[in-house]
Amino acid sequence: MTIKLYWRLDPAAEPQRGEPSARPAAGFLPRDVRTAGLTRYDYYAQVARAAAITGFDGLFVAYRPESDDSQIVAAAVARTAPRLLLVPEFPSTVGSAVYAAKEAVSFQRATHNRLGWAIAPGADPEDSARTAEFLHVARGVHGQKPFDHEGHFFAVQGGGFSDPLARAAFPPVFLQGTDEEGLQLSANAADVHLFADARLDELRGQVETLERLALGAGREVAAGIIATISARETVEEAAGGTGITGSYDDVAEQIATLHAAGITHFVLSASPSLEEAYRIGQFVLPRVRAALGQLRTAA
Amino acid sequence: MSIDFYWRLPTHGCHATIRRGSYDRGDWSPLQAGNQTPGLTASGEDDGYRYIDHLAEIAKAAELSGFIGGLIPSFPNTDDPWVISPLLARETKTFRFMIAFQPGFLDPVHAARLSASLQRATGGRTVFNIITGGGGPSQLWWGDSFAHDDRYGRTTEFLDIFRGVWSGQPFDYDGRFYQVQGDHLSPLLSREEVPEIWFSGSSDAALQSAAKHADYYLSWLEPYEQITDKFARVKERTAQLGGEQKCAIRVDLVARPTEEEAWHDIRTGFENVSDATRAQWRGQPTDSVGASRQAALRPTEARRWDELIVGKNLWGGFNLLRGGPALGIVGSYEQCAEQLDELIGRGADAFILAGTPHLEEAYRIGEEVLPLLGRTAAAQPLLEAAE
Repeated sequence: MTIKLYWRLDPAAEPQRGEPSARPAAGFLPRDVRTAGLTRYDYYAQVARAAAITGFDGLFVAYRPESDDSQIVAAAVARTAPRLLLVPEFPSTVGSAVYAAKEAVSFQRATHNRLGWAIAPGADPEDSARTAEFLHVARGVHGQKPFDHEGHFFAVQGGGFSDPLARAAFPPVFLQGTDEEGLQLSANAADVHLFADARLDELRGQVETLERLALGAGREVAAGIIATISARETVEEAAGGTGITGSYDDVAEQIATLHAAGITHFVLSASPSLEEAYRIGQFVLPRVRAALGQLRTAA
Repeated sequence: MSIDFYWRLPTHGCHATIRRGSYDRGDWSPLQAGNQTPGLTASGEDDGYRYIDHLAEIAKAAELSGFIGGLIPSFPNTDDPWVISPLLARETKTFRFMIAFQPGFLDPVHAARLSASLQRATGGRTVFNIITGGGGPSQLWWGDSFAHDDRYGRTTEFLDIFRGVWSGQPFDYDGRFYQVQGDHLSPLLSREEVPEIWFSGSSDAALQSAAKHADYYLSWLEPYEQITDKFARVKERTAQLGGEQKCAIRVDLVARPTEEEAWHDIRTGFENVSDATRAQWRGQPTDSVGASRQAALRPTEARRWDELIVGKNLWGGFNLLRGGPALGIVGSYEQCAEQLDELIGRGADAFILAGTPHLEEAYRIGEEVLPLLGRTAAAQPLLEAAE
């Protein structure tokens, strides 16, 4: 069972980093040569490159309505951060499912199929039904031509992509949630279901439910987790941290234990994003991969 | 006086020459020797370059040779401008991304967030070409089933909300197509400039919408008397409606050192057009007024290349050679500059230019034609008026 490790970029975290409007206007003694062209996106790109350099498999970009849009951020860093799967999180209320599919195909074509879709869970009770229909239509226009659909939220006639757009792979879909309805939606439509961090026995139960529902739907759905991580050289230094906490050896062991419980996708975050990407990438990921016998070795 | 000149990013592949119609740049053609992005390595494998790498080359060429930015068109089989723009944001410096899109594609509040984020990613280089017309089967392909005049009503509402939430204050709106309660952009996003809005559409429904929201009214090139009248009508109608409208023209050029060389390329291109392409030339049914106006320019048959000369340095068969408008400018560098100067005199405040191949012609037109503007005989009345 392979393991996929993603770093999570939160556009609203460390809000002063690289932010031109946060630069001191007065009372800053050093000569400041930063131009207006040096922006917050340079920081996002740096975090993405940090994740690539330190061996993460992908970059998850959180949906934060008050900050930069996840899809803009993911595209803006894509060409500077090679190899990473880029997974912007967005709600299914963004607009037309046909258009979203077309944007996804363009992204795939430009990046050698490095896009993933994380559909954010909505607050509205209708959102689960909308997400299901959104994915049905998006996959429909990608995979069938002609594609027709007359639904509650979307309608298409004579749809469907032609070559070369139709040749691009549809992005892997990540969904979230812990209730039965969310798990059923994932069983029907997700490639990966992401759980929130919880006690191991709870997670075991949730993974079992997901597997049962997926079996019922005749599909395979991988299980994942979104977790914060607090790793230090010693457990004492990590004391008081949140999420997966402990020494480098401890957290690697906890991740291996979660993996043994059926969780194969790990969306990890810690602040500050850049330094912690280096720390986790350099000290934790190799231990995890060694524990699982999947250590990357130099050629 | 200064005029904004945009270039164009071809989002449906590109031709290496106007003389032949094959899309040999990009993967709209099979992967084979002679094609680029993707191309083949010496050992015959996919070289890993993608069409976006070619678009990056064109965008850099345009900004280095003096264009302010480029139009990024959107059709069912093109790559998408909302993806291309952020992908190229960090490797361009001054290039403005003119995103063509239809309001039906996106939720207006989300579109405002996307736009403000892209403004932040590019240092304020986002421009919109809002497309409302079209219609027919193409709209249903996009999953959009509104009738023609309803679509302009929706565009107006879309832009009302787009600007409304950008104010940064909680915004309420109760429209026919959209309802919004208390939505607004965060201070981080709302401090960005609202992107400049370019608008198309020749119907009165379009002009009403343009008067309220457009910075530029964009038209394909039409015969000069016709476009003079059109711009005058647009400026008059939008003034009645309380707007002040700048006008812009999108046009292709074949500019060469001599007029003979320019017409030679047109003639060669024409002679390489297949019978099948000529048979399809009359186009497909559409409820777009702009497209119908272009269709009316065409002679009924394309037998000889020179039958399509519709005025001095004007040729009406460009859409035989590549997708897009029929009418374009053909001539020496000096003649092309004269035509553009003349159009400025007739009310054009900005241009979207293009030439095939888009990369090399960005340099050629940027270096050979743009520096002549304002210096030709056609510019004299303009200069006198400006004094």
